[in-house]
Amino acid sequence: MDIELRDADLASRIADGDREAEAEMCRRMGPRIRLYGLRHLRSSSAADDLVQHVLLKILEALRSARLRDADKLVHFVLGTCRMTVLDLRRTTQRQEELLATYGGDLSPAPLSPPKLDDRQLARCVQALRERERSVVVMSFYDDRTAAETARALGTSEANIRVIRHRALQQLRVCMGAVS
Amino acid sequence: MTIPFGRIECSSPVEAAVLMDYWLATLSASAEDAVEQHLMTCDACGDRLREVIALAEGLRALARSGTLQVVISEQFRNHVAQEGLRVREYAPPRGGSVQCTVSADDDLLLARLAVDLTTTSRADLSWCDPAGVELQRMADIPIRADAGSVICQQSISWAKASPTSSMIARLLAVDDEGNERVLGEYTFHHTRTISGPPG
Repeated sequence: MDIELRDADLASRIADGDREAEAEMCRRMGPRIRLYGLRHLRSSSAADDLVQHVLLKILEALRSARLRDADKLVHFVLGTCRMTVLDLRRTTQRQEELLATYGGDLSPAPLSPPKLDDRQLARCVQALRERERSVVVMSFYDDRTAAETARALGTSEANIRVIRHRALQQLRVCMGAVS
Repeated sequence: MTIPFGRIECSSPVEAAVLMDYWLATLSASAEDAVEQHLMTCDACGDRLREVIALAEGLRALARSGTLQVVISEQFRNHVAQEGLRVREYAPPRGGSVQCTVSADDDLLLARLAVDLTTTSRADLSWCDPAGVELQRMADIPIRADAGSVICQQSISWAKASPTSSMIARLLAVDDEGNERVLGEYTFHHTRTISGPPG
C-alpha cells in the first residue's frame, strides 16, 4: 500500500538505517536546497555544490540519530543551508574527498528550468508602459535593488516596487503564466 | 517500501510577486525566513519559484541584449559602460542634428537629448520621419527634473539592420489636459555602414 510519507517520517526511517528513505530524502530535498543555493549564491555550479554539502551533512546527522525531533527537519535543513552558504562564501575550497566518498546519492539530477519563449518575452517587455520598461530593464540588468533604481530615476523606492510588481504581473499574463 | 512521487498542490501558495521579491533579495529578514521555510516543504511553490527565476533570467538577458527601446538613467548608462559594454552615444544639440551610424561590435545605441525638465511633470518622446509625421510615441517617459537630458536606448539590432535614413526625435511636455508643448527637437541622420540586406 502506498503511503505518503512526510519528510519527518523519512528522517525517522533514515535513523533506522533505511537506505531507500535516504535516496528519497535526497530526491526531495536536493531541488529545494538547490533553489536556496541559486537564490543566495547566484550560480548553478555553486548551488549544486551546496546541495551536495548540505545533503551530506543531513544524512550524516540522520544516520547517527543526531536530529532528535524529526519534526524539526526543515529548521535543521535551513540552518545547515545557511551555515554552508557562509562557509562557501568564506572559502572556495571544495570538499572533493567527501563527495568522492559518498558518490552519486548526493547528486540528484537538477530539475530543468522552465523554457521561456525569448521572442515573446521581448514582445511583452516592449508592450509595457515606458516607466515600467525602464524599471524592468534597470532592475534586472544586474539585480539592482529598488533603492538603486529609485535613485537613478529620481522617484521613491516604494514607487519603484509598485511599478515593478505591476510590470511583472503584466509580463506573467502576457507570457501565459496567469490566465 | 514504495514511496509515491508527485506534486502535492499547495494550500497556501506564496504569491508570485513575493517570490520575485525573494529572488531579488528585497524581502525583510523575517519575510525571507518565512518564504524559505515554506519552500523547504513545498515543491509546488518551488516549481513556481523556478518559473519566476526563468522570467528573471530572461529579463536579465533581454536587458543586456541592447535590443529594447527604453529610456534609461545617467547612472545606468555609466554603469553599463563601466562594465565594458561598447556604448555608442549620439547627443545632438537641441534644435540641431547629428550624423550617426552603428558598427557591428557596438552593444548599446543611445540618444542623449539635452532638455530642461525643471518645469515638466510629464514628457512624451515622439519619433517622427523627416517630414515630421509621427511614427511612434513613447508616452509618459521616466524623467528627472534635475537630469538636464533624456537618454533613450534604441534597439541595437534594429539600428544595425536599418537603411540609411533620417529620423526626428521630439520631446513634448504634456499637461493634465493633454496639451502639448515642444521641449526640443533633434534630428538623426543615420548612415548604414554594415553590409547586408536591410532588416
